[in-house]
Amino acid sequence: MSRSDLVSSAPGVDLRKIQRLFGTGGPLVALVVLVAFFSLASSTFFTLGNGSSLLTQLSILLVVAIGLTFVIILGSLDLSIEGVMASSSLVFVLLAANDRNDSDLGFLAVIAGVLTGSLFGLLNGVLHVHLKIPSFMVTLGTGAIGIGIATVLFGGRAPRLMDDSLRDLGFGSLGGIPKLAIIAVIVLTIALLVQRFTRVGRYGYAIGGDEQVMKLSGVNINRYKVLSFVLTGTASGIAGVMAALQLGVGDVTIGGGYLFTAITAVVLGGTALVGGIGGVGRTLVGAAIITVLANGLILIGVNPYVQVAVQGLVIVLAVAVTGWSLRKRVRAIK
Amino acid sequence: MRIQNNWTKRALGIMAISALTVGLAACSSASDEQNVPGGGAESTGEVALVQGIRSLSNSYHANWAEGGDLFGASIGQDVVVLSDEGDSQKQLSLVKGLAAKGQVFALNIDPNTSSDTEAIVRAVTEAGGYVVTQWNKPADLNPWDVSDNWVAHISFDGTGSGTEVSQALFDDMGGEGGIIAIQGILDNVPAKQRFAGLQAALEANPGIELLDDQTANWSRTEALAVTQTLLAKHGDKVKGVWAANDEMALGALEALKAAGLAGKIPVIGFDAVPQALEEIQSGENRYVATVSTDPWWQGAAGLSLAYQAASGAIDVSKLTHEQRAFYAQQTVVTTENVTDFLAAPSAEAIQVDIDDPFARIVSAIN
Repeated sequence: MSRSDLVSSAPGVDLRKIQRLFGTGGPLVALVVLVAFFSLASSTFFTLGNGSSLLTQLSILLVVAIGLTFVIILGSLDLSIEGVMASSSLVFVLLAANDRNDSDLGFLAVIAGVLTGSLFGLLNGVLHVHLKIPSFMVTLGTGAIGIGIATVLFGGRAPRLMDDSLRDLGFGSLGGIPKLAIIAVIVLTIALLVQRFTRVGRYGYAIGGDEQVMKLSGVNINRYKVLSFVLTGTASGIAGVMAALQLGVGDVTIGGGYLFTAITAVVLGGTALVGGIGGVGRTLVGAAIITVLANGLILIGVNPYVQVAVQGLVIVLAVAVTGWSLRKRVRAIK
Repeated sequence: MRIQNNWTKRALGIMAISALTVGLAACSSASDEQNVPGGGAESTGEVALVQGIRSLSNSYHANWAEGGDLFGASIGQDVVVLSDEGDSQKQLSLVKGLAAKGQVFALNIDPNTSSDTEAIVRAVTEAGGYVVTQWNKPADLNPWDVSDNWVAHISFDGTGSGTEVSQALFDDMGGEGGIIAIQGILDNVPAKQRFAGLQAALEANPGIELLDDQTANWSRTEALAVTQTLLAKHGDKVKGVWAANDEMALGALEALKAAGLAGKIPVIGFDAVPQALEEIQSGENRYVATVSTDPWWQGAAGLSLAYQAASGAIDVSKLTHEQRAFYAQQTVVTTENVTDFLAAPSAEAIQVDIDDPFARIVSAIN
């Protein structure tokens, strides 16, 4: 929604710059079409109240998907997202003021939760690069470890977050904008900067495009691969903490469903699973499409029994139509 | 309880040797005389009391085990707890391990999945023990088709309690206004039963309007998003939130908090998870009610039933089909009775259900 405003209202914006940031226009057009359709079909879609709930629903998915973009650009995959979110949410809640123990570390607990994610990312990267195990196998395993650790910490019932100022980050808003969305925007900005101006961001494309060329140029690609996994893990850690802030508990199932939705968001935005093409800006578009679709279908009253099927259908259509020009490059399995 | 479990394993090792000689004979003779209730009990003196649950680390099964202990205390015996940690293979091998002890046992078990039930009840039949199963069994397999050693199967129908708990929500709303319903996974049996219960309550309350129903797949996270969207869609018309389980109700409550509506709009759920019980007790956020199967009852009455069959107090072959496969009563938990569900019942309170394990039959499972 905000993206369409940006396109139409910002004067003198170079169209190519937008394209470079948000993709070749296809997904963006799909998003605009969906927003236009739902605005016409439902009187509540384009309201302040629904705008704020759209932003909240977008925030956590966006953070997860942004992180995932970094490894997908490498041509790798991170399937540990849900396990990492589970662990980091529990580490965070158990270190902040909670109803299980006397800990009350405040903001330090947030950092501990996020760092839990970074550690998982480091583990993923090191195992993948040095043991030469395919990334989806490594991360499938570490994801299970994450769920396991979370189950032990969970101990039969969800610990509740009792720190009111932290809780306010989860459901409070600032000038009508949910605080969670503000966190997501900060993460997005940092990710855009990392992708644009750092080596790990720029080399990622080259590694995903052709690893051998990079190796022959004398670049220590292993280092940048591990760093990319750390970025993804950190984003999952942030998402786990955000989910705990939002729900007020640490929970083993807190990341449930985010993995598949995040992969969909990344691919829908136009990042190729084979690596080398894409970016976090495009992921924003992909995540927005999914969020708008889930919200809009409920608003226009589509029967819940067929909603999932309709969602799938629209996603397939969107990918087919918008990715037509890319159809040779997005194929992960030939 | 874990010590007892380890003790069981060690004891099993020692007894395995003697079982080779005595046990084999006992097993074969027990299956010969399986139609004679308590046949094996007199020969070895005491009936071993055994609970089969998933894990003591979740409050539901911990309460179930506590109920079993209350029954054990009532007849002055210890109860062995077998916890399978959600592993069907482990569950079956633990049950088969009981047979090796050569002692008649009464087992009250929560099979992991429907497909595990048959293997468990057949293993118990072969061993000459007596078993009561709860929750899961294949629809076309009934205790009377297998043996008298499978004493009974107990489950719960969400329709009746669904109507009752919906009524509690409507009463809190003053019998008027719109509600939104958050469903479980749409093709799950409890999800269907609970929603049918809601619809029955809606028919009896013409002042209540169901504005919308959406699924959140039993998930707290999804329920939060769905509730937010439905609040945006229906605005002030939403006067109550119905959720098919407590997890989703708690997610919906977070959405209400974010919208500044917590405490203004009543919420109900099912399952009686600890956090929901605390919300009901505090009353602060108008979490009006939930539904409990009463895990203490499941532990005590189920074990009592298996024991009565094993000791000969009940003649299994004379029980009706309704007594051998029944839906048991569930309880709607509100502020009035919430304290009963936060801690174990007293020995006197549960004695009624120990004496008559059939007291809570609602209907036969057909």
